[in-house]
Amino acid sequence: MSKTHRAGLPAAIAGHTWAIIWTLLAVLPFIFIILLAFKPTSVIYSNPLGLVGVDWKPQNFVDAWNGPPGGGGFAFYLINTIIVAVISIGLSLVIGSFTAYFLSLASLRVRRIAIAILLVTTVTPVVLLLISYYQAFNFLGLLSNPVALAIIYVALVLPNTVLILQSFYLGFPAELREAAALDGLGPLRTFWTVVTPLSRGPLVAVAMLNGFNIWGETQVAIVMLVSAQSRTVPIGLLAFQGEFQSNTGAIFAGLTIATIPVLIVYLIFNRQVTKGIALGGVFR
Amino acid sequence: MTSAPTRPASAASRRRSRPSGGFARQNARTVGWALIPGGLIVLVFFAVPIVALVQLSLSTWSGVGPMTFIGLGNFITALTSDAFYQAILHSIVLAVLGAGGTVVVAAVLAALVSGRIKGAALYRVLWFLPAIAPAAAVSVFWALSVQPRTGLVNQFLGAIGLGSLHAWLSDPNTAIYVIAFVIVWHGVGFAFLLLLGAMEEIPVSVHEAAALDGAGSMSRFFRITLPLIRPVLAIVTLLNVIWAFNGFTFVWAITRGGPGNATEVLPTLIYKQAFVFGDFGPAAAMAIIGGGILLILGLLTLRGQKTVGD
Repeated sequence: MSKTHRAGLPAAIAGHTWAIIWTLLAVLPFIFIILLAFKPTSVIYSNPLGLVGVDWKPQNFVDAWNGPPGGGGFAFYLINTIIVAVISIGLSLVIGSFTAYFLSLASLRVRRIAIAILLVTTVTPVVLLLISYYQAFNFLGLLSNPVALAIIYVALVLPNTVLILQSFYLGFPAELREAAALDGLGPLRTFWTVVTPLSRGPLVAVAMLNGFNIWGETQVAIVMLVSAQSRTVPIGLLAFQGEFQSNTGAIFAGLTIATIPVLIVYLIFNRQVTKGIALGGVFR
Repeated sequence: MTSAPTRPASAASRRRSRPSGGFARQNARTVGWALIPGGLIVLVFFAVPIVALVQLSLSTWSGVGPMTFIGLGNFITALTSDAFYQAILHSIVLAVLGAGGTVVVAAVLAALVSGRIKGAALYRVLWFLPAIAPAAAVSVFWALSVQPRTGLVNQFLGAIGLGSLHAWLSDPNTAIYVIAFVIVWHGVGFAFLLLLGAMEEIPVSVHEAAALDGAGSMSRFFRITLPLIRPVLAIVTLLNVIWAFNGFTFVWAITRGGPGNATEVLPTLIYKQAFVFGDFGPAAAMAIIGGGILLILGLLTLRGQKTVGD
């Protein structure tokens, strides 16, 4: 505490100024997004920040929900994103925790090799994979299929999921496992009935990280989801830019739907989220 | 990120790795079977696509029908096209500005919070907000905000007397700086968290000793904090370089690579080449060259992480 006192007045003022400026820069855009989502396009241009005597227009959300004529709209985008997120978060958690647990039991040599491979996949740029995914899914008739996209996401988030959970399982008390073995539980039963319930914390943290990454993923989705009605939320927003040129209010409504839910989830669970991120969960 | 996975085995796991008796043999067999699904996924979704991409880069393909083998022609096309070098140049500009800006801002902010500035607990939460919002959404927001006359940023500039008419995104000289700004704005939160973690591991006594010797907060930042977190700083910088170099979303959402090709980067160029123009061969060759560079950068980062972990 004595640190700030010793820092000297000019430095302290500079520090607080910096902190306040960055806070405004970080927070204000989201407030503007919500505010403008309720204003008609003409008011967004003429009086964006006014709060009194404004002709509010919640209709923007209806426009965003229905989408432009013949297009997608958030009615589709949200459902597609939820389908994609549920499948990919669920599957990556099941396969990832299973792989991570048994990897933590493997010999040191196997573990070293597996971890080296996983680390290389985490730095493999998507650009090296994308065209081949397109070719394969085109051949299989799976383009514009959110479920197929979810399967790709499972694979893309799996290495990080395994790496994070593996380091957690390494510290898992061996006594519990041995006790389960003495009780006659096989390794698989031990994993499901003893280990998994005790690792809820890390599982939730990893699930949330994967969720944030999947909610915002653009580069793979824009290639795999060709038809308007198969779009996920971020891809839908990018399409809105072209389709809603004269209805900026609807775009802001879309931005609100795309950002505010994840921000709320983060604000509620920020401890777990930041812990998980410190453990290593980011998309490329 | 903190390289926990690369750390050498603890005493507990060493005991585990040399088990004895029939239980161990059964255990080893179970482990072997259990690793098959994950291994197959890595093989099918990472190894096979790269082999397929190499094959495609040596062929012509328009998106439908069979591929025709043509040898190294696509690489020659890529390496002799101006657009390719332009894209690499823009990628480098974004990597330097984006990663540099992100790390500088994040280091200052992390130093403030680790120096227990008033409100640190709140700042720690709020400064991460931009990082959690989807990149596509915040890019669309900032793109709308820098529209001439109607955008929030331009209205603000007009209000403080700097003029509200500049069309930031249709001016080839300024569009790339808007993208760099959004990359920094979005990237700071994550870099801040990692640098803060490193700064909090510096013993308080080190700072106290320096303060007793009369070092001000500035000189402590440059002479103690920065040198002591240098390994983490290097990794965070390299990661941000990779992400900025790799960044498709920011560029696509803000300018689509325009005006003209003033902000075209490798990922957008490859995307257009393959999925807009249906010219998959050269796109594959560009992906291999650009992706190869990135992969090498990524492997360097991993080496760095490993040294930090040990």
